[in-house]
Amino acid sequence: MLDYVSLEADLDEEERMIRDTAREFVEERIKPDIGEHYEAGTFPEELIPEMGELGFYAPNLEGEEYDLLGVSETAYGLLMQELEAGDAGIRSMASVQGALVMYPIHAFGSDDQKAEWLPRLARGEAVGCFGLTEPEHGSNPSAMETRAERDGDEYVLNGSKTWITNSPIADVAVVWGRDTSAEDNPVRGFLVETDRDGVSTNKIDDKLSMRASVTGEIGLSNVTVPEENVLPGVEGMKGPLSCLTQARFGIAWGAVGAARDCFETARQYATDREQFGGPIARFQIQQQKLAEMATQITTAQLLAYRLAELKERGDLRPQHVSMAKRNNVRMARDQARIAREMLGGNGITTDYSPMRHMSNLETVYTYEGTHDIHTLVLGQDLTGIAAFEG
Amino acid sequence: MKVLVTVKEVAEVEDDFEIDGTGVDDRYLEYDLNEWDDYAVEEAVQLQEAGDDIEVVSVTIGPERAEETIRMALAKGVDRAIRVWDDALDQDLLDTATKARVFRAVVEEEEPDLILTGVQAGDDAFGATGVALAESVGQEWAAVVNQLDIDHLLAENVARVHRELEGGVEELTDVELPAVLTIQTGINEPRYASLRGIRQAQSKEIAPKTLADLGLEAGDVESSLFLTEMYEPESESDATLFEGSAEETAAELASVLREKGVGAE
Ligand SMILES: Cc1cc2nc3c(=O)[nH]c(=O)nc-3n(C[C@H](O)[C@H](O)[C@H](O)COP(=O)(O)OP(=O)(O)OC[C@H]3O[C@@H](n4cnc5c(N)ncnc54)[C@H](O)[C@@H]3O)c2cc1C
Repeated sequence: MLDYVSLEADLDEEERMIRDTAREFVEERIKPDIGEHYEAGTFPEELIPEMGELGFYAPNLEGEEYDLLGVSETAYGLLMQELEAGDAGIRSMASVQGALVMYPIHAFGSDDQKAEWLPRLARGEAVGCFGLTEPEHGSNPSAMETRAERDGDEYVLNGSKTWITNSPIADVAVVWGRDTSAEDNPVRGFLVETDRDGVSTNKIDDKLSMRASVTGEIGLSNVTVPEENVLPGVEGMKGPLSCLTQARFGIAWGAVGAARDCFETARQYATDREQFGGPIARFQIQQQKLAEMATQITTAQLLAYRLAELKERGDLRPQHVSMAKRNNVRMARDQARIAREMLGGNGITTDYSPMRHMSNLETVYTYEGTHDIHTLVLGQDLTGIAAFEG
Repeated sequence: MKVLVTVKEVAEVEDDFEIDGTGVDDRYLEYDLNEWDDYAVEEAVQLQEAGDDIEVVSVTIGPERAEETIRMALAKGVDRAIRVWDDALDQDLLDTATKARVFRAVVEEEEPDLILTGVQAGDDAFGATGVALAESVGQEWAAVVNQLDIDHLLAENVARVHRELEGGVEELTDVELPAVLTIQTGINEPRYASLRGIRQAQSKEIAPKTLADLGLEAGDVESSLFLTEMYEPESESDATLFEGSAEETAAELASVLREKGVGAE
């Protein structure tokens, strides 16, 4: 795959092997059937434990006692990149499980919560989901209406979450809601087992993007959870936002993977497809498209690698991640369209990946903070003035 | 019990390539574990997982570059690796007898109970190393094994194997250990290296050995086979396109086939 300035040559052996094993898995286990899943709107659920066995969920977190490996941030990024070269739906599954469910339990959970959930989630024996977005509150989650009311040593939860990746197949949901029994109603995180009374997880059908991924709602109607299910280590929007920083880091890498797969598909097609007596790759217009695509991918890739370095040494700010998520996803979204275009009529079928990537990227452009919202995050960081509220 | 698996890093040639001297130009080569060896490794690791106290050791004849490929086998569960290399081995082509001599020296040192090799290597495709090694160490052997009864082997110290013969015939053979089995693709489903395995592999041993370490000298590895030339055969394409209705074209095809002597009278 395209690595124009040989960034992969500087990987260490463990990182290269992680890339290789992920690439092989995607080649053999994902690519052959993903078009069919996409068309049928199904997620290949049999891959969940397989990816767990391979260690694809949150391998960057530390903790031998919880079956965690603590691989480098670059290795984690490479893994997300390879998975998304297969399909963003597969990468989303791993992102949610690792960065949005295991990460908050690891960072803010009690020892009991960690012991109960981390090993099972790591092995893919349990599936998690992350409930932040609500029907009336997307880009502004701090206005959330989900409430938790203390009742003795329990909490009673009410509210509804929507657009929740994996909710219909999840065993546990990390639900963010306001604790109305505490002063200032702080946002708290709750581990809600989906088989509790009052929990519903309806599936959202008719998506035209991210079709090989299960998305649903979480309905909470007088759901009682014990106090021990509250994440003890965090209060306020910092909780969900810190998870999103982790996931977006993976997305910045994932987008490069999707774009690389588009590029390779287009390059191959352009050299194979003959028109006017020769391969279409001999036309300057097609070469220009490839040259531009390769350049855009390479600059996005550089940003991803730099992000990993900053994250590794603890200097990564959420705004850095905003810039990379914003840039790399836009890049992939634009380039996927160009790749699609180079494939002519064949490009609009599920036989080729670019249009599937292209429509997946519509979701990626919107979730985990829309492109616009990241623009405003950067604007605020650069000027000191927040432009979110009119 | 000790299982020795021979593994080889092979060069895979890209679709478009250029020839350089008696080889394919390095720019068009990608190195990977020989496909058959991947199955041999998996079989050894399954044996190790099924039994108690079974050590799986891999041995490679290859330059330092091969270490990453060897490391992948370690990540899949091989316990330790031996890599034999020497300037004297850096030849265009190592013939089977030479390889068998080198492996014999390793076998004498390691004294494995079972040796697994791939049926053949994807690059030079001699398909003879395993059998030549068995001959050279004086052990029983079974070639092209596509099924191994692991429970039976652990209980009886006998390899009960299925072998694939021509025309879909299967042969069931019992081979007493120590023995050499050459492993066919499809015998199992090779695993992917897990991230945990990759992590563990970083601290597993790949012991480098020279010919001298094995009590051999340059004269022992003088190959009697030489590559004299490498060229791309000219492909002659002689295509005839029949046009017309199905009946007409079928009749034309039939007469051509008859002319060429294909089919019954
Ligand atoms: C397939 C899929 C999976 C998802 N998975 C999850 C999940 O697992 N968990 C979860 O919690 N959420 C998830 N989401 C939800 C996602 O994060 C939200 O869709 C996203 O935050 C945007 O919210 P919204 O859809 O309500 O859009 P809105 O917030 O209503 O935005 C609509 C438009 O207005 C723009 N806009 C909003 N505010 C401003 C402003 N201040 N200035 C300028 N423009 C603005 C936006 O950029 C956008 O273009 C998922 C979404 C999808 C599509």
